[in-house]
Amino acid sequence: MGLALSIAQREASLETEGALIGALIEAFLREVEARAYRIALMQVRDRHEALDIVQDAMIRLVQRYANRPSEEWAPLFYRILQNRIRDVQRRRAVRSRFVSFFGGTASEEEHDPLAEAPAPRGDNPLEQVTADDAMRALELALKDLPARQREAFMLRNFEGLDVAATATAMGCTEGSVKTHYSRAVHRLREVLAEHGEEHWNE
Amino acid sequence: MSDDNGDSKFERRTKRAFDDSVAALDAATRSKLTQARYRALEEQTSARSRGFGSSLLPAGTVAATALVAFLVVWQATPPAPVPQAAALGDLEILLGEEDLQMLDEEIEFYGWLEEQPEFANVDSVG
Repeated sequence: MGLALSIAQREASLETEGALIGALIEAFLREVEARAYRIALMQVRDRHEALDIVQDAMIRLVQRYANRPSEEWAPLFYRILQNRIRDVQRRRAVRSRFVSFFGGTASEEEHDPLAEAPAPRGDNPLEQVTADDAMRALELALKDLPARQREAFMLRNFEGLDVAATATAMGCTEGSVKTHYSRAVHRLREVLAEHGEEHWNE
Repeated sequence: MSDDNGDSKFERRTKRAFDDSVAALDAATRSKLTQARYRALEEQTSARSRGFGSSLLPAGTVAATALVAFLVVWQATPPAPVPQAAALGDLEILLGEEDLQMLDEEIEFYGWLEEQPEFANVDSVG
């Protein structure tokens, strides 16, 4: 009788705790999903792959880290996301080498990142087109950065992670994050200025 | 210093441009992201049910072990020795069809009869 009662109490307690974690993690995923998708899309430049990457990252976070303190979720999630992005990029590089070895052309080399950009929107179409063009230029400039600088920039600037969380997400020291980020900012400013992108430097 | 200011301004602009591009995501993509989120949360629900099973496992194991231990001890304990003749006698009484109530009523008579000298050695005769 006592044992049955204690099992029932434990069940109820776990149910409540599980439901609370479920609600918290759902709110977290809802907040980051669109941003994570844009970050993945900028790096893999394929909508389907970007969606798959985000879904995988969500599932892995839930499966492995749902019981960790919620303040750890963001760096863990972005770490998983970046690992998945790197996996996709490595697979592509191997495929590309394989295809070029046999004299073909890899389809991703022909991929046009501008075609994947979101459609213009807003009240003033001209302003919006200018903003979209600027964003596309930024994306192209980001693409040419070294991978670690790009990651640091996206996590710190786009996602708003602090230095410590970015270091956890990137699996490096806080000093490295600062260096990568600072170099990324300077390089992006230079590249965009060289291409006459007044939007960023005016 | 002015370069730092320039960096800050640049960083604010890139951040805003990124936020705008996120806000501009089309409905189809948002719907797919929602589906992806639900799929991930289903994992959490099923993991929780699995967790329930495993959380109850120790309690179940303890209960089962206690039951097995009880049965083993109970089986191993020898029953109290009962004299075979007495046991058979009891068995006969239990299985017999005599009216035990009548025996109870006349017990005083049988006690008196046993005390009478003329009946004392009846069993030993013959």
